[in-house]
Amino acid sequence: MNKITFAFKSITGQRSGRIEERWNYDTGSLLLSSPVIEDIDGDGRKEIIFGTKNGKIVSIDLDGKLKWIYNAEEQHSQVELMFLDTDKANSISSSPNIADINGDGHKEVIFGTESGRLYVLDSKGKEMWSYRADGPIRGTPYIQKFANNQTGILFGSSDKNLYFLNAKGQLLWRYNAKSEIESCPTIILAQTPMIIFGSNDGMIHALDLKGGLIWQYKTEDKILAQPAYEKLSANSEPVILIGSTDGIMYCLNERGSLLWSYETDGAICSKANVADINKDDKKEIVFGSCDNSVYTLDMNGRKLWSYETDFWVVASPIIADLDDDGRMEIVAGSYDHNIYVLDSEGTYVLDYVPGVSGIVAQTGQYGEAMTSGPGKTQGKKIWQYKTEGVVVGCAYLSGEKSIIVNTESGKINDLIHKEE
Amino acid sequence: MVDRIISRQGDVKRVPLYIQGLDDVIEGGIPEGHITLICGSAGTMKSSVCFNTVYNECVNRNKTSLYFTLEQSYASLLNHIINMGYDLSKVNILLINDLSNINANLAQLKGSRKGTIIFADLGCIRKEIKDAKVATSQNAGWLNVIKNVIKKVKTDMGLDMIVMDSLSALYVLSKFENPRIELFYVFEFLREMNVTSFLISEMPLDGSRYSEYGVEDFLCDGIIFIRLSPFRRNVVREISIVKMRATSVKTDIFSLEFKNGKFYALYGGQNPLL
Repeated sequence: MNKITFAFKSITGQRSGRIEERWNYDTGSLLLSSPVIEDIDGDGRKEIIFGTKNGKIVSIDLDGKLKWIYNAEEQHSQVELMFLDTDKANSISSSPNIADINGDGHKEVIFGTESGRLYVLDSKGKEMWSYRADGPIRGTPYIQKFANNQTGILFGSSDKNLYFLNAKGQLLWRYNAKSEIESCPTIILAQTPMIIFGSNDGMIHALDLKGGLIWQYKTEDKILAQPAYEKLSANSEPVILIGSTDGIMYCLNERGSLLWSYETDGAICSKANVADINKDDKKEIVFGSCDNSVYTLDMNGRKLWSYETDFWVVASPIIADLDDDGRMEIVAGSYDHNIYVLDSEGTYVLDYVPGVSGIVAQTGQYGEAMTSGPGKTQGKKIWQYKTEGVVVGCAYLSGEKSIIVNTESGKINDLIHKEE
Repeated sequence: MVDRIISRQGDVKRVPLYIQGLDDVIEGGIPEGHITLICGSAGTMKSSVCFNTVYNECVNRNKTSLYFTLEQSYASLLNHIINMGYDLSKVNILLINDLSNINANLAQLKGSRKGTIIFADLGCIRKEIKDAKVATSQNAGWLNVIKNVIKKVKTDMGLDMIVMDSLSALYVLSKFENPRIELFYVFEFLREMNVTSFLISEMPLDGSRYSEYGVEDFLCDGIIFIRLSPFRRNVVREISIVKMRATSVKTDIFSLEFKNGKFYALYGGQNPLL
């Protein structure tokens, strides 16, 4: 693109460039969740860590070169194998968590498996300890460092229990939710610290740190998404945002009362991402739905815009400034095999074509035509990149401004914005 | 598996039921690979009708069949079959009652030119492994055992037909929490395996539906209904085809009789046409 065109696009707010692949990595197994990006071995360079459907945790470097693999596949007798769903018996269904749980200055990798075991690996991929639950662990374990330097590991299981372990893998308590737990819990450090999580009967549970129930809130279907806890503006109380597979994004206060809800036409399966995307000093809520759309809501639950892809948006969208223009973009992966980069502010579209039809020629009542806006804000696609499979998750590498995309087929793509 | 698209009418391969008088009204048999519910209350000979089909297919076309017996023991079922006059020397009979030697058992039959009927006695397997830790594990289940046995037989020997005797017993064994979704995946699995499947469904006495949850009626490809009908001081069995995809069907009600080792579907039968 020549300098004059570039200058014109910059002045008019048009985006230039395209999304390109830097490298890809074939895991040789199906993938079910997002990667995690962290410098786990302390060498100053981050690693990409992810779990596979055949029970492996893989660490690759930022050039897509393998660093290590840990095999969490369990050995079974012939009789045991007959009782298992062999297609997914060893699956790692969710992203691992990375944290220094024992305070030794090195980060550990914590993840759960379909066979019901929670593993803790050291930064080189060696097993430190594991803990056996009575059912599959399908959600990411949650790690919390407390003020007294103690670490708690929280995870739910399909055996209907929420487990709370210490950093040595000892069970401190467990809470029976009376329904399978596939979501990742969150600890909110409010006035009364609370553990918030959802279960498959649609219940949102709030527990104290000793596993005692504080409140519950019932949604209409399974909860797979992790709750988000955020203060949406300087003067507002922090809120709990959680999507349900009943298609509704719920906003609750710390006492478990509904502040507002927003209904979509499909299941909401992952955590809402919250950030001030339009520089109005208030945070917006961005999430995907299985009605194929990406939604952006304001802090009161009013839709700012939505963008419709061709299939489900299951993974959490990313909010980042990919092209370094000072404006945020929303990156969403869809089951339609595409990565969409959307303008965080959307675009205003008139309901009529100026000069072709006057406002009086619009349908509806005259009064309505006079009081309602002449158009609405819609999602605006800036770039799109087609991957080789269903996009199950993505992560953002802020330093390099690249997007790491996991596809179900087992390919990992490193995508970057390139000026033309 | 993706369903094969036929090029013209009559191209559908069929499995006869070997019920004289009934096969003629369903274009010669049920389409290969279809899932058929055999419904009726207790005492309607559902198991015998299914066994009759797999036995004759094994004798006449050297097919391999897998019969899951979930409520009746293998010995009791076999005694019943022999007593009906079926000559079991014409086929290979294999019993799976121990999951630890399934490989060795299947290996014995490799290369046999005769048709094979494999009985999987789940009651017996349950007794064998009741103390094994896997039986209490959350992500393990009897439905997985059934699926894995089907996959194993299909891979090792090739599998043409299965009989599930009965769905009601399977529900007790597997405790479906969300039957609509779980049954959808069971039916999908059977279609993927590309085997002709007979699922025996115990009907409630009031005959209000053909299956436990109702959803099976929609998921299956065919429904064969057998009922007991009182006539004077007697009870006669009646058989009819409720549904059969890809088949031109006569929906008449026939009397079902078993004589000299054969099933007959008759207009009237013991129940004279008036």
